Amino acid sequence: MAQYNLDRFSVLVVEDNLFIRSLIANSLKTLGVGRLFTCEDGSEAINFLKLVKENPMKAGTMAIDIIISDWQMSPVDGMMLLRWVRRHKDSTDRFIPFIMITAFSESERVAEARELGVTEFLSKPFSIEAVWKKLLSVIDRPRQFVHTSTYFGPDRRRQQVPYKGPDRRVLTDKSPEVEIING
Amino acid sequence: MAEAAEKPKVKVRFYRFHNRLKEKAAGAAGYKGTGEIPAELLAQAEAALAQMSEDYPDWVSKLIERMGDQHRRCVDTPEKRRSYYEELRRIAHDMRGQGGTFGYPLISEVSESLYLFTGPNSGMSNNHVEIIKAHIDAMRVIIKNRISGDGGDIGKQLLQSLDAAIKKYEGRT
Repeated sequence: MAQYNLDRFSVLVVEDNLFIRSLIANSLKTLGVGRLFTCEDGSEAINFLKLVKENPMKAGTMAIDIIISDWQMSPVDGMMLLRWVRRHKDSTDRFIPFIMITAFSESERVAEARELGVTEFLSKPFSIEAVWKKLLSVIDRPRQFVHTSTYFGPDRRRQQVPYKGPDRRVLTDKSPEVEIING
Repeated sequence: MAEAAEKPKVKVRFYRFHNRLKEKAAGAAGYKGTGEIPAELLAQAEAALAQMSEDYPDWVSKLIERMGDQHRRCVDTPEKRRSYYEELRRIAHDMRGQGGTFGYPLISEVSESLYLFTGPNSGMSNNHVEIIKAHIDAMRVIIKNRISGDGGDIGKQLLQSLDAAIKKYEGRT
């Protein structure tokens, strides 16, 4: 098993709560993340991501590798940030891994974030182990991105599980309605 | 036109990229398996979290006092209760996600309850404001006495007395 070195990683942490923000930033730093950037809410994060695109020297990084964002923030919350990252024409990287920190346990809200293309959830309260497990998942198990008329984001099927009902997935890689973009 | 009709429109695009992050983390040698973060770094991060946890009671005390201020405003200026509730709810939301991380799950539990009692459809009566106060008082006790974990018997008693306060005032709302 390889020992990962996160020294070349740039991570953006978006969290309005000072204490939690500093906790996450400290944890990531200790885990070896090379460059950390923090924002207090979604609008600050959007401005920062735009700056990275327009003036990387000023932003202090050429790119962001992972976004870790709280859900409930004001005025622009984590969902609005996620929507911007995945769908907005000005978005700097629509494929960036997006880890949503959430205190909500309600499943319909989780489904809402999934529909918008979230990569992972980190639920509060969290442990260091939970943080690095999410990082490892992003690094080790990236999923293909799916773009349809109703969805853009990481493939929502994480695993192949036996399913007895009718298979509604009528399209395969070979179907003419499917285009595969490798990169 | 006939040719266009034969070629169905693309309905799904799959984007499959090579794993750039893994290259960054493990080197460009094309490592195939899964990786680990060095154990000593994890241990250090755990220690840093423990260090921060020590500061948590002081930090959260300030939040509890801010809630106390909002409660007093609810009493003094009843016509503005809605906006004070919103602030209380915001603080409760922050707290419910933190307590458990820093070893105070009871804080999370009580703030979760307060969060529910300050929602958009919450009662605005004086009795309801008393229920809010009971929550703030419970949190003061937890932090003052550093009741971490589930608090054992004291924790149980505390939650029971909060429940009793809720029932008492709820009956009157």
